[in-house]
Amino acid sequence: MNIRTKRWGGSLLATAALLAAATGASADEIVWARYGDIDTMDPHRATSTLSLQVWSLVFDTLLAVDATGAPVPHVAESWEVNGAGTEYTFHLQDGVVCHDGTPLDATDVAYTVNRAFDSANPSVTQASWGPVTGVEVIDPLTVKFMLSAPFVALIPFLADSFSSIICDSNEGVEGFGTTAAIGSGPWSFVSWTRGDRIVLAAHDAYQNFGKLAENPGRPHEDGLVITVVPEPQTRLAGLLTGEIDIAEPPLDDVPTFETSGELRIVIAENTGQNVFWEFSIHRPPFNDVRVRQAVAHATDVQTALSLVYGNLSIPEACPISRGVFGNNQEFCLAHGQQYDPDRARALLADAGYGPANPLTVSMLVWTGGNRDRLAEVFQAQMADVGITAEIEMMDIGTMNARVRQENETPTGRGTFDMMTWSWYDPDILYALWHSPGAYRGYTSPELDGLLERTRVLTDPAEREAAVQAVMAYLLEKAIHVPLYTPGWEWVFAVRPEVEGFFVAPFVYPVFSDIRL
Amino acid sequence: MARFLLQRIITGLVTIFVTTIAVTFLIHLVPGDPVRTMYAQSQGTTPEQIEEIRQRLGLDRPILEQYGAFMGRLFQGDLGQTIRGQQDVLSILVERIPNTLVLAVAAMLVALVVGVPIGFFAAARRGRLADTGLMALATTGVAIPHFWLGLLFLTWFTVDNRWFPVTGSGPLSLVLPALTLGLASAAVIARMTRAAMIDVLSQDFVRTAEAKGLRRGVILRRHVLRAGLVPVVTMSGLQFAAMMGGAIVVENIFAWNGVGRLAIDAILQRDYPLIQGFILSFAVIVVTVSILLDVVYAFLDPRIRRAA
Amino acid sequence: MMAVEAAEPTVEVAAEPRRRSLLRRIVRQPGGAFGLAVLVLLILVAVFADVIAPYSPTKIGAGPRFADPFGAYLLGTDDLGRDLFSRIVHGARLTVLVAGVAVFISMSIGVLIGLVAAYARGIVEMLLMRTADVIFSFTETLIALACVAILGPSLENAVIAVGIAGIPYYARTTYAAALVETGKPYFEGAAASGAGVFRLIFVHLLPNVLPTIIVVATLGVSMAILAAAALSFLGLGAQPPDPEWGKMLSDARDFFNRAPWLMFVPGACIAVTVLAFNLLGDALREALDPRARR
Repeated sequence: MNIRTKRWGGSLLATAALLAAATGASADEIVWARYGDIDTMDPHRATSTLSLQVWSLVFDTLLAVDATGAPVPHVAESWEVNGAGTEYTFHLQDGVVCHDGTPLDATDVAYTVNRAFDSANPSVTQASWGPVTGVEVIDPLTVKFMLSAPFVALIPFLADSFSSIICDSNEGVEGFGTTAAIGSGPWSFVSWTRGDRIVLAAHDAYQNFGKLAENPGRPHEDGLVITVVPEPQTRLAGLLTGEIDIAEPPLDDVPTFETSGELRIVIAENTGQNVFWEFSIHRPPFNDVRVRQAVAHATDVQTALSLVYGNLSIPEACPISRGVFGNNQEFCLAHGQQYDPDRARALLADAGYGPANPLTVSMLVWTGGNRDRLAEVFQAQMADVGITAEIEMMDIGTMNARVRQENETPTGRGTFDMMTWSWYDPDILYALWHSPGAYRGYTSPELDGLLERTRVLTDPAEREAAVQAVMAYLLEKAIHVPLYTPGWEWVFAVRPEVEGFFVAPFVYPVFSDIRL
Repeated sequence: MARFLLQRIITGLVTIFVTTIAVTFLIHLVPGDPVRTMYAQSQGTTPEQIEEIRQRLGLDRPILEQYGAFMGRLFQGDLGQTIRGQQDVLSILVERIPNTLVLAVAAMLVALVVGVPIGFFAAARRGRLADTGLMALATTGVAIPHFWLGLLFLTWFTVDNRWFPVTGSGPLSLVLPALTLGLASAAVIARMTRAAMIDVLSQDFVRTAEAKGLRRGVILRRHVLRAGLVPVVTMSGLQFAAMMGGAIVVENIFAWNGVGRLAIDAILQRDYPLIQGFILSFAVIVVTVSILLDVVYAFLDPRIRRAA
Repeated sequence: MMAVEAAEPTVEVAAEPRRRSLLRRIVRQPGGAFGLAVLVLLILVAVFADVIAPYSPTKIGAGPRFADPFGAYLLGTDDLGRDLFSRIVHGARLTVLVAGVAVFISMSIGVLIGLVAAYARGIVEMLLMRTADVIFSFTETLIALACVAILGPSLENAVIAVGIAGIPYYARTTYAAALVETGKPYFEGAAASGAGVFRLIFVHLLPNVLPTIIVVATLGVSMAILAAAALSFLGLGAQPPDPEWGKMLSDARDFFNRAPWLMFVPGACIAVTVLAFNLLGDALREALDPRARR
């Protein structure tokens, strides 16, 4: 079997030129290939990372984040909060221009918020705006958010693309989100061929106030084409021929390119991505804390990661990952369960499981990103302590539905799942674990109380302590067992001649600085 | 002939009608609450919102009424919205279907261009080494899975040798998927053509022609080929349907932007409006193609032509 | 998922079926001998998988990652250091199970429909066979996909889906063969002598269409294997760590550069198995068909 002989050899240049001609890519266009497509260009109608990444290029946000993930001014040059923490006033930058030439001002911000809260068709992420009751345009450059209760997580939310500012000139536009999307970001929307490609063009009047990029204005290159290429090997081939400039490579080939220098590998940092175990908690066996702890003790994250991802991902000790406010590895390690199969066996025996009464459960896992392989390793680790875990692979949307369904069903086999969440603020813990809970999972009045404090404390030190109290609670009871970070779409292979590419926190790739 | 075609068209309409019933009931066959399954990923969906969605989709009404409403919307060209991204299902399908058709037609061409001559040649050399060899090849061809052949092509011809672009939708990008999809069918068509030709060769008119002293080559080309093609055309209809099915797999390997890739994503994401639309559009295509082929068949077969 | 070969192999049974020599007639044909040999090998491997396989198919770290074939590990190891040979061997067991159950589902329901339609005639016949025709026009792939869409992706559901998708194929061929039988004097005689419906269908009709069904089922096995493998390949069938061949092939895509054999071996296994069943089916048809024995 001599399939490998002509590996990456051959007359590269000629073919590359031919291919470039065939696919219509020109020299001043950046081609970025991803495994899947956006759901929509409408920032109020989807939640996928694939969608968010594109919105972040086309739309602006009031705030931005620095390299550590902390919110900083952007379109809003400053803001004030009233003493009760229920009124936020933002002062906007002058001269921000939408792609259609209209100025971006307070009315656009108000339009966006009102649209998100439209009772007939609210945003799918409406809950993340918090208890906003209304928004007031004070003057063209001043806008005030009114809240019914204090909500500290509003600030980091306004730095994320979920809060993309939709220019009010989109009102009434036929096909907004599909054939049209007017924002004020560095790239303007040109076209979207579903399942194939999104074409963006540099926004000449763009001004960068706070977003991570050296470039203060218009992107250096004229165009950005975001294509869909599901097969990792095909993306790699495209990278090597020059058809593609940037793409997620097959993860197993990363070490090869790191050493050969054929492609540059960029790994996103401070992704906020958290992969964790959670359990169908309202029925046996996982209503027993000992069984949950046993699963946590049976899990050897480091070994599994190095087997499947090499050094591309690292164990995460906290329920909110590195880069998110409140993350503290030492603190979390002290409160969570470490790999200890003997302890796991003892806990299981204590709970009444063993060779005489074997434990069989289902493990739900999101498809893609080599997670199936990881699940197979975890499955073997579970088997090592006597837990038979049957893997079920599913799409993330299906998994969300299924996890909730499992929590709402009082009988049946126990399930636990490798859940994946990415968020910019510890407020995710409120969404997940404050009653009734996103998945109707574990809740308690005590935990509710701890979580409520994290939303209202404006003093950073006090809030950090509150967040830690929540984390300690979740970890000790093995409700949210953190596994690793980052977890999906975080590795980028870049052609050597592409300069200036980097990935901002929470996996937002930035193309403004790129020179081909 | 008109009667024959009318009959086929009515059968086709019945097929589509049955499909509309099937897709309406599809959503009720799903274990668990379909609305909850569909909307679970929307953040913070409250029970009231779920109820509202259920009402909007009409899922709280009696099933016959639902079917009526579905058909009513269907006649207005409304197939509903996708769960993910809330996009218009019909326009998504209309965007993608041409790509799948292009692929299936190209593959059909590959299958016919490769399959018919092989079958014809094998029949003419019946029992000789060429026949045995070609048929062994065809039998092997039927057994090779699309998805394997596709992957081997992909890695050899784009990754290792770079003869073809890895992405895109141009003519060059069509070559490998069409070959992958077409070759297995070519094997089937070769076998069918051979069988049909041999059948014709044993018929009386061929013997008569031979007795009249016509040269064998002339007999083969003028009489046998034409008569033998009739069953091949009929079978090609089924092959085309199989091809549309195979396209689902092949599109996923070659990133060909057709409905097949869409369908797999929709199934994995449980996007039922999209699945419904996909099945329905598939039915329309399969039925239309089979009616078209019946027309060709009617022209080729003198018995039907005369019955007009 | 595969090319449907729709030529319906109606088999005319010889007047005096010499069953003893059937095997010999199959083995005498090279294709038949090959097919039978692979079938026997497959079943042996499936039955004795635990004995043959040196490792558990799910044993992670049985060896280093990506060990080359023909070394310490006969077919090398995969990305998790699992022994590929052991996985292939256990995959044979899955393949036999999947094909067996799927064909059983399609055959039992399809044959029943075909027999009843041929016997009942009239409105029942029309309803049953028209429905079968309608479903048949959708091709196996789509029906199987629709079933998986409803049932959800898993190996069990894929088997059910493939089984359902195959029903029309068996219904049509059984119907065609049974129709011929119902016109024969022996059947008309039995019907005239007042034999019951059950007796007529299962005692008179079934044994006489059985040869046709056997041939169809043999060819149907290969369709079922391909269809199930394709579903697994698309992620709609077998779930990890099942060593299903289609799934293994699909998993190996990511490692094509490092370990091409991971993709080559399962694909070749599927192809050889499918080929064997096709050849066996052809040989069976020839062996059972008196016209072919001229």
